[in-house]
Amino acid sequence: MSRGRRPRAAALVSVLMTVVAVAYLYPLLLVVINSVKTFSEITTNVVALPSHLAWENFANAFTLMRYPRLFVNTLVVTAMGTAGVVILASLAGFRLSRTRTRTSWVVFLLCVAPMMIPFHSFMIALVKVARMLHLTNSLWGLGTVYWGLGIPLSLFMYHGFSKTVPGELDDCASLDGCGPLRMFFQVIFPLLRPVTVSVIVINAMWMWNDFLLPLLILSGAKNSMTLQLAAYNFFGQYKVDWQNAMAGVLLTITPAIALYLVLQRHIIKGMVAGAVKG
Amino acid sequence: MTPGQRRARRRRGLEFFGMTAPALIAIVLFVEGPFLMSVAYSFTKWNGLDKAVKWVGLANYAELLTNDRALGNAMIFTFLFTAVALVAINVIALGLALILDMNIRGRNALRAAFYIPNIISLIVIGYVWRFIFSRGFDSFGALTHWGLFQLSWLGDSRLAGVSVILVSVWQAIGFYLVIYIAGLQTVPREQLEAAVIDGSGPVRRFFHITLPLIMPSVTVAVFYSLSNALKTFDVIFSLTFGGPGLATTSIALDIYKTAFSDSRFGYGSAKSVVLFLIILVLTVFQLNVFKRREVQA
Repeated sequence: MSRGRRPRAAALVSVLMTVVAVAYLYPLLLVVINSVKTFSEITTNVVALPSHLAWENFANAFTLMRYPRLFVNTLVVTAMGTAGVVILASLAGFRLSRTRTRTSWVVFLLCVAPMMIPFHSFMIALVKVARMLHLTNSLWGLGTVYWGLGIPLSLFMYHGFSKTVPGELDDCASLDGCGPLRMFFQVIFPLLRPVTVSVIVINAMWMWNDFLLPLLILSGAKNSMTLQLAAYNFFGQYKVDWQNAMAGVLLTITPAIALYLVLQRHIIKGMVAGAVKG
Repeated sequence: MTPGQRRARRRRGLEFFGMTAPALIAIVLFVEGPFLMSVAYSFTKWNGLDKAVKWVGLANYAELLTNDRALGNAMIFTFLFTAVALVAINVIALGLALILDMNIRGRNALRAAFYIPNIISLIVIGYVWRFIFSRGFDSFGALTHWGLFQLSWLGDSRLAGVSVILVSVWQAIGFYLVIYIAGLQTVPREQLEAAVIDGSGPVRRFFHITLPLIMPSVTVAVFYSLSNALKTFDVIFSLTFGGPGLATTSIALDIYKTAFSDSRFGYGSAKSVVLFLIILVLTVFQLNVFKRREVQA
């Protein structure tokens, strides 16, 4: 396992692993290939390359899924949920790590305890609560519910990281006569940036891909659907139209993949930060 | 206490309240409140719509312990699924991490490649594999004439379980790979090199140096794979919807069906309390066992 030289064995391992990786991703490659094939081509042979590129599959999926609309919907939910989590969790996480009282400790425990509560063990009553608060069948409602679900882990990360921000800064800023909120957002928040990046990545990826909560909260509303719900309906309805379905799959996953390719390093770092600290 | 001090104290108190209350309210409203309500509902008979909620005491718990084949099936499936997926995910991810931690060409691209399934939503993963198992396997079978591809991977109740595990492991590996690679990067090279000089082989080096040193990563990875496997839902929802029959119905899916298909919210709540307890007991036990094995570098 030497890191210094690259002997011939290492080259062999590299080639071997490339083969393994291609095999590993082959199912996804098949999705790409079949998304530009005609229905009859898919039913005769899935493996073969298309004779011509059937781009109309994408046009079909685009209209059948009402893609632009649902893309914006999903974006609204994700952005609203993530923004709320970042603001509320950073404020509270920072304040709790700075205040050393018993009250502060109790509040902290109350805030992080939900990390041990699986979603499926409170979803039934959550639907009831959301209905009482008129948050069902609304994108804003869904975004708001995500606050409660996303804050615990994010607050925990902010709480831990706040210890690295020197305490003298709090005092300087308050002496200059700016209020606590302005002090926080102008002086402290920029210093929490590394955690903020991780928190955004973890929450945005989760909310974009989440299925069950949108299914429960948005169940009846046709106009406020997310892409994941559309994918679910799409496959239910067009079970046999594999060519449109494959194009639909690609349309659904492309935003996440694009984001991943752009922010690769942050995403992996953020995911690990969340996992190791949680 | 001077009035000035009192004012400063009140201001600090107000500031504390103002900055922490919004987060706490959101958590109480959307997680802790509903959780406590679920516990309360678990002692009732309620269909989710009626105003009338009838107190039934422990009747729900008595029913799920003695008279619920569906939940019994779901528990057996979930535990089997968890056992196999847990071992497979961690062994494969750690093995891959060891290889991708070596100084080989293109290792960053390779790491990125294995991570890709992890950024796709589980619900879509399920549909992709439904396509592979049906259409894809038809074509593979026609090309290779292997009996393997002619089997009914989603229609046969035993094979459907294997398929669900296969897909779940395939999707999850990338995440755990990243955790293990992060762990391996903390292992001091000098210790491994010293061991080489002492004449110990790669297997011995792994079990006596690397593995003890990366135990914190193992703890985290096993914790996550354990709790995620116990609450598995999405992949099953889109791949088999728990079928054929009840063969691949997990506890989480059984809760969903009980509450939202059968409209038995009280009974579903009792099941969800049971799921909470199962996950709590198993993960606390796991953390205790694994934490004891962690050593300092």
